[in-house]
Amino acid sequence: MTRTRSLGLIYLSPYILGLMAFTAIPFLASFYLSFTDYNLMQPPKWTGLENYIELFTSDRTFRRSLSVTLLYVFLTVPLKLAFALFIAYILNYKLRCINLFRTAFYVPSILGGSIAIAVLWRYIFATEGLVNMVLAWFGIEPVNWFGDPTNALFTITLLRCWQFGSAMVIFLAALQSIDKSLYEAAAIDGASKLRSFVFITIPLITPVIFFNLIMQMVQAFQEFNGPYIITQGGPLKSTYLLPLYIYDEAFKRFDMGYASAIAWVLFLIIMALTLVAFWSSKKWVFYAGDKRS
Amino acid sequence: MARLQLRNLEKVYGGAFKAVHGINLDVEEGEFMVLVGPSGCAKSTTLRMIAGLEEITAGEIRIGDRIVNTLEPGKRGIAMVFQNYALYPHMKVRTNLAFGLRIGGASKAEAAKAVEEVAKILEIEPLLDRLPKQLSGGQAQRVALGRALIKKPDVFLFDEPLSNLDAKLRASMRVRITDLHKRLKREGMASTVVYVTHDQTEAMTMGDRICVMKDGHIMQVATPKELYEQPANLFVAGFIGSPEMNVIEGHVDGSDFRTGGQVIPLGEALTSRLSARPERAALGIRPQHLALATGINGALSAQLRGVEFMGHEVYLHALLDGREVTTVASAAEFERMDRSLDTIRLLPEAANMHIFDRDSGRNVSLRAQG
Amino acid sequence: MTDISHASDVFTAGADALAEARRHQRIQQRRARISAILRYAILFGVGLVMLYPLIWLVGASLKTNAEIFANPGFIPREPTTEGYVQGWETSTPYTFGRFFWNSFLIILPKTIGTAISCTMVAYGFARFDFPLKKLLFTSVIAILLLPNVVTRIPQYILFRELGWLDSFLPLWVPSAMAGDAFFVFMLVQFLRAIPDDMEQAARVDGCNSWQTLLFVVVPMLAPALISVCLFQFMWTMNDFLGPLIYISSVDKYPVSLALKLSIDTTEAFEWNRILAMSVLTITPALAVFFMAQKYFIEGISAGGIKG
Repeated sequence: MTRTRSLGLIYLSPYILGLMAFTAIPFLASFYLSFTDYNLMQPPKWTGLENYIELFTSDRTFRRSLSVTLLYVFLTVPLKLAFALFIAYILNYKLRCINLFRTAFYVPSILGGSIAIAVLWRYIFATEGLVNMVLAWFGIEPVNWFGDPTNALFTITLLRCWQFGSAMVIFLAALQSIDKSLYEAAAIDGASKLRSFVFITIPLITPVIFFNLIMQMVQAFQEFNGPYIITQGGPLKSTYLLPLYIYDEAFKRFDMGYASAIAWVLFLIIMALTLVAFWSSKKWVFYAGDKRS
Repeated sequence: MARLQLRNLEKVYGGAFKAVHGINLDVEEGEFMVLVGPSGCAKSTTLRMIAGLEEITAGEIRIGDRIVNTLEPGKRGIAMVFQNYALYPHMKVRTNLAFGLRIGGASKAEAAKAVEEVAKILEIEPLLDRLPKQLSGGQAQRVALGRALIKKPDVFLFDEPLSNLDAKLRASMRVRITDLHKRLKREGMASTVVYVTHDQTEAMTMGDRICVMKDGHIMQVATPKELYEQPANLFVAGFIGSPEMNVIEGHVDGSDFRTGGQVIPLGEALTSRLSARPERAALGIRPQHLALATGINGALSAQLRGVEFMGHEVYLHALLDGREVTTVASAAEFERMDRSLDTIRLLPEAANMHIFDRDSGRNVSLRAQG
Repeated sequence: MTDISHASDVFTAGADALAEARRHQRIQQRRARISAILRYAILFGVGLVMLYPLIWLVGASLKTNAEIFANPGFIPREPTTEGYVQGWETSTPYTFGRFFWNSFLIILPKTIGTAISCTMVAYGFARFDFPLKKLLFTSVIAILLLPNVVTRIPQYILFRELGWLDSFLPLWVPSAMAGDAFFVFMLVQFLRAIPDDMEQAARVDGCNSWQTLLFVVVPMLAPALISVCLFQFMWTMNDFLGPLIYISSVDKYPVSLALKLSIDTTEAFEWNRILAMSVLTITPALAVFFMAQKYFIEGISAGGIKG
């Protein structure tokens, strides 16, 4: 190789610069800021652990926001993944219009994060909106979606689950990549369809389940558009997810230090859960390496 | 172990394409039957119908006394070794072996014991705690064998198990499989085996009997020796044996065979055996039975076209009246030959000539059943 | 026996066994058909429920406000473009056309910048060895998993110092420096799967690495690059939080902010305007998606499996 060792670095230079400027330094800076009081007018004033102490002892909004966020994540992610896997399983068959269905289920996930859909959601779940009209058609009483704290969170959950298409496409590809002769061998071994699914299909797609789990979890914790547009965090802060709280503190009240502290708490929670997932993955994720033949 | 019987077995795809045409086959208890043929001859389809992995369009399959057409693969008393091993990649070898037993209701202890037994027979004990991806090709194939063996099936099915291995490994695995079969037979545990391959060497060396298939039809079922010496038709004659049998077109005239300008006397024994004297006939003679003539008497002359030096033998390719023939000579004979001439003289051994009807392909010179 | 073997025993399997076999076959076929019907039914049902909101959206955008409240059907009884006309005008001095233009001004540099920078970076990772390579690649994966909530505030402060507030710069510059780890990762994986034979041939032909990149690698990367651009296009059109934080003048609003604005400023019952504009904002993304479906779904499944 007559290439100089540094040639590669030249190609990486935009990334390295960007990494420093937009990720690494901000990352460290936000850590620093979380120990300060900073409102953009005067330089940051060191306050030590004050922000964190206030957060955990006297901030009721924080407690509410945290519990709502955790509820949302632990509700949405399993539901979304289970549904994605279920539909992928149904699609994994010699059906004729498989591509049509795949596209149909995928479309919501491209649009889902957009404001337009959030707006749509706001209207179809309004008291006079589409959902209640359809329910009325079935003779069910109209539900107060946005007035009732539990219902409101449910609409946000539903919005996210509606976008299961991207996870489903990945699951489908994984299901299709399983060698058919394994199922034949299992049939000869006497395994029923259910047993085949549990002992062969599921273990072999655990890497994909793991990947989807992490991605979905990290995204769910940072949900902003939906709650912001649809419910504005209400009613009674029942949809006041942490990202909304951070936004309010940082860009409405310009309390940068406090907002950074909340951001760091959120970050640490996500990291902790991610690490737990990684650590536990050794127990249940199986990676098929290349076959040596 | 049990006998296997196929009766009028048919497979039709999409209501139009008939892949298997009403075949009949009997495999005796403990017999090693090889299904061989070129790609597309439906040997794998037939095997998969026996296994229950392919729907049967018509006909019957009997294992022992039972008709198994309608039974699930797991209930037919069969076991199968796949071409790509099909080992469960996420289970250790031990678990792979025990899987079928555990599904069938065996206890952990029973299964473990069976695993130990099989591992000993196949010499895979050190591999028991490995994952399939950590095994070499030969090891994986032995584990696949073990998975089949452990179920003590009535019928063993092999679907081109050695195709993925390199030549050397293939040779040693061939021996291993046949040795295993014989050994189990001695111990009273032999299974009836149906073995599919496209490789005629495997077929000839492994089978008790061989079933040659073409386009969904059975061309001949016989022992290797019979297939070699008494091929029932042109296809079998050309498929079995290497290098391929020479086929010379012509017609039978009295007790001679006329081809182009030359005449080959057939001899009394062959002439008296002929069951027909087809207008369009072919003379079949293997290269090994077409000797280099020392004299001119009764010999054919052909233009030498090419020589392949195989070490202890030499293949000589020649043109006999425009048709290609091959003969095999020993290295010594080749040395003695006058290689300045491009004409060689060939003397066919009458005892090993066959006459075929070119239209039906049938061998009309078969010896009577003894 | 040397001939085709035939039954040595008189094989009277009998009409019974044959009939049994045929009956079983019919049952199997029926079972398979029922299974297929069930699958179709579930898929169709779920698909309908999922897509109905979108169908309704389009229909509602063409209804009068009174009718929107009236029935859940999606076909307007008196179709009207009133929603579109009035919505387009908005209650600001600008039409939606201006807002679309703003979005375009963000998307264009962002997409081009992403394509160029991520290609360079992926090329570097996939084809070169250099000090700290492992560390840097790990950082790519780390960013991929990193919740960016943690960097948002300091980034804002940085851009404030640079004087970039209320401009489009903060929205596309980071991406133009390969800031989107997802695309870097995707391109690296794609490139790693392609053998470098042709690039070696180019070197023999005398190309330096830059020329090789331009003339040999980029054409090979084309399908993946298209995926990258499509994804970036869609994500940027949907981007809300970014513009929310950085853009304060209404004349610079992209469509996502404009839509939010219209909710705040429109009378409570004039839904058809908002719905009409919503339809407009999602149309580009949808159109692009349908034209290039192949690239989307393959891109995402390939990335997912290898990840």
